[in-house]
Amino acid sequence: MKRIAAALLLLLILGATLVLCTSRYHYAFQDRDAIMAPSTAQHWTGTDELGRDRTVRVAAALLLGLTGAAAAAAVTTLIAALIGLLAAFSPQWAAALLMFVSDAFLTLPWLFLLMMVRSQLPLTAAPLETAVMTFLILAALGWPACARAIYRGALELRSAEWMIQGRASGLKTHQLIRLHILPHLRPLLLPQFLICVPAFLVAEANLGALGLGVGEPIPSWGAMLLELDNSALLARSLWVYLPIVLLAIVLLILEFFTNEVDADA
Amino acid sequence: MSLLLAIAKRAGRTLLLLLFAAGGTILLVRFAPGFFSDSREMDAKYAQAARAEIQAENNQQQSAGRIAIQEVKSWFSGDFGQSRQYHVPVAQLIGARVRVSALLLAQGLWRGWLLAICAALPISALRRGALLWRLPFTLLLSIPTAAMATACILADTGGPVLVLTLLIAAREFHFLRRLLEGAWRSPHLLQGRAQGMTSRALVTFHIVPNIAPQLCALTTLSIVTALGALVPIEVIFTVPGVGQLAWSAVMNRDLPVLVAVSLLMACVVGFAGMLTTRTVTLEAAG
Repeated sequence: MKRIAAALLLLLILGATLVLCTSRYHYAFQDRDAIMAPSTAQHWTGTDELGRDRTVRVAAALLLGLTGAAAAAAVTTLIAALIGLLAAFSPQWAAALLMFVSDAFLTLPWLFLLMMVRSQLPLTAAPLETAVMTFLILAALGWPACARAIYRGALELRSAEWMIQGRASGLKTHQLIRLHILPHLRPLLLPQFLICVPAFLVAEANLGALGLGVGEPIPSWGAMLLELDNSALLARSLWVYLPIVLLAIVLLILEFFTNEVDADA
Repeated sequence: MSLLLAIAKRAGRTLLLLLFAAGGTILLVRFAPGFFSDSREMDAKYAQAARAEIQAENNQQQSAGRIAIQEVKSWFSGDFGQSRQYHVPVAQLIGARVRVSALLLAQGLWRGWLLAICAALPISALRRGALLWRLPFTLLLSIPTAAMATACILADTGGPVLVLTLLIAAREFHFLRRLLEGAWRSPHLLQGRAQGMTSRALVTFHIVPNIAPQLCALTTLSIVTALGALVPIEVIFTVPGVGQLAWSAVMNRDLPVLVAVSLLMACVVGFAGMLTTRTVTLEAAG
């Protein structure tokens, strides 16, 4: 099941890359003669209200979303691992302080916190900057729950008998962490990373739908959801629903993959 | 006595977290670009010198410390300050919307949990084919709230309650199923089955009491999930609730409203967490 999910995801990524490489249209190119066009030989899945090719935009959104979410998930897991380990190997007061800070982030609902932080940053920045900003915010705010789990795991490992023996043998804390703790935490870190990827994809889509996501003309899942507000476009072509369907498929695959990895761990 | 001390400690921590949330919100908005924008600065009748004075006055009046003091004063006066965009007391603004959001939350949570329990109980007991039955919930989990809400509007079916119900049901179903699957496999339950106890008796007398503490913790998670989902749902369905107010406040940098909404959300999450801890402590003691 895990392999099937991975193969399907790889297939989607390859397909999207192929579309971007072979298509004669750029994702921002506006074909003024084919505004809101239905499916044609030139535009397989039609165009949007500005005459931009939907196939290319969906393919770019898929790649941008996955790359951004995976990068943000990697950063968030790294931050969580650092904070979790720091708390586990610090004096009790420092651990309490670090966990208090992570609790403070968890006091507000995730989407509300994201929306609040994102909206306070410049909304009229360059499109690429908004994309980087959106995923950086996801990375910067996604670590608290993950750090708590890593802290618990590291605390258990810290009191293990083999750790006491390692300490008695003269190994320093950083050596213990590098040689013993991190390899043992890997089964915990990998699922945390995998859980973050779909969560960040969903968050980006929700932020985009609120008008706080990646800026135009860069295609993103959130911007594609906004397209559904155009009732004139909906009446013309069913291909408008393609982004939603594809996003659901990607998330479904990631969900299955994460569940299987989690079960293995 | 120890229980009282634990509750007092937890309450103190929650209070500290609330202050942290309020302070964080003030700092965030205070340093956001555009916070100092004043409509008078755009007015041509003011000379350059007058505009500079306005700006200096704003800078002086809106230092983070001064804003924090003003905010605390407004909490004690009970009106939570004046909204920058609507020019009415924040308490009045929120008061009218809390009822709408609370009703939506209550309906969504209640129906979502009911749906999740009704589905998770039989599916967790299945030995084969569970994957297929789990599929609708996994699919629901894979659709962003905003997309679900938009799809409902396009299909002209359902409304905010349905979206919230489906979201809660999808999230809780997976947690519940795992909990129940673990419970069904426990040795005392196998023995109970072998002795001929009915499924209903097993659920009532063995499973529910065993998983009750985890269910309480899940309830808190549900509330947090629902509060987060309130914003896109209320914005997309144009429901005049707290979520929509929060969105409008963040877009317009309406600091008093934003601080009040943050406090309200943090209060709900904090006290739900406290209630869960207390219930779990009492059950453990019992």
